[in-house]
Amino acid sequence: MMKKRKNLSRLSYHGVRIILGVIFIYASYDKISHPKAFAEVVYNYQILPDNLINLTAIFLPWIEIMIGVLLVAGFWMPGTVIWSNILLVIYTGALGYNLARGLDVNCGCFSTTKGGSISIEHILWDLVFLSLSIYLSFFIFRSETIERSK
Amino acid sequence: MFIKFQGKTSKTLGQLFLQSIWQFVAIFALTVFLGFSINQFRDSRLPLFGDWSVEARLTTPSGIQLNLSLIEAKNLFMQKKCIFIDARPKDDYERGHIRGARSLPWHEVDQRFMEVTKDISLETPIITYCDGKTCDLSHKLANFLIEMGFKNVKVLVNGWTKWQNADLPIDKEGSN
Repeated sequence: MMKKRKNLSRLSYHGVRIILGVIFIYASYDKISHPKAFAEVVYNYQILPDNLINLTAIFLPWIEIMIGVLLVAGFWMPGTVIWSNILLVIYTGALGYNLARGLDVNCGCFSTTKGGSISIEHILWDLVFLSLSIYLSFFIFRSETIERSK
Repeated sequence: MFIKFQGKTSKTLGQLFLQSIWQFVAIFALTVFLGFSINQFRDSRLPLFGDWSVEARLTTPSGIQLNLSLIEAKNLFMQKKCIFIDARPKDDYERGHIRGARSLPWHEVDQRFMEVTKDISLETPIITYCDGKTCDLSHKLANFLIEMGFKNVKVLVNGWTKWQNADLPIDKEGSN
């Protein structure tokens, strides 16, 4: 019974890791392909000062794809999940902030042109992804130090 | 949820923390290197620091300024020398719009373009507007109209708010 539970847990860990990785890779694709359009999206969020907009538009998609690849490969997991948690908290916060102040802007979550205005649905999805990322963190940090508790 | 990684040396919390930190930094460094390198050598290269002023954003590749001031828009309105087109969603338009403005929501432009513009000549001055300093619907609509052949298209940035604040004529839901 114990062994069955362990196998199920290991399976869910790998499944979540790969799903989240694919999501990040998919999210980065359009942003890397259309940097100018993504810079417009970043500008329209009206959060960053003007001199950080292009830098964000250049580097953020590459952080996403890097996290995605590392999650899928299962490599450097402790550092990777920290990045994924940080990014998802930032995205959720930015969406929530702009929704609260009534800004009608393109989400830019997976596409720089389609996807529609930001909505509660986008926030809910981000919270789902964040919970997956937190689950991975828990799994990694707990299992890596499990022997310490013995 | 206890999983034993067979044959793996256990780590202290401190070791794991340090491992996380150096991996975090390494990921950042790799990303910066990749992002910078690829950006430098691609056709659609983005400058590291961009000009995001209204004038720069509303200048066409050929150097034409698309934005116009409220005073210019008001003068054209008073002289009945232009057509205003509201780029906001239909619901917003019906709640209130610049008097005489036509509704062509950006998200429905493909479906409604012909219907809204069929009687407008290509030389007629058109002013697009939406609401909010960062609203880019009017900008997108203006660029679309230019691509469709209209020769005299301008954008009134944050048009709806500016127009109301200046107490200029509007049509509202339920009004004559």
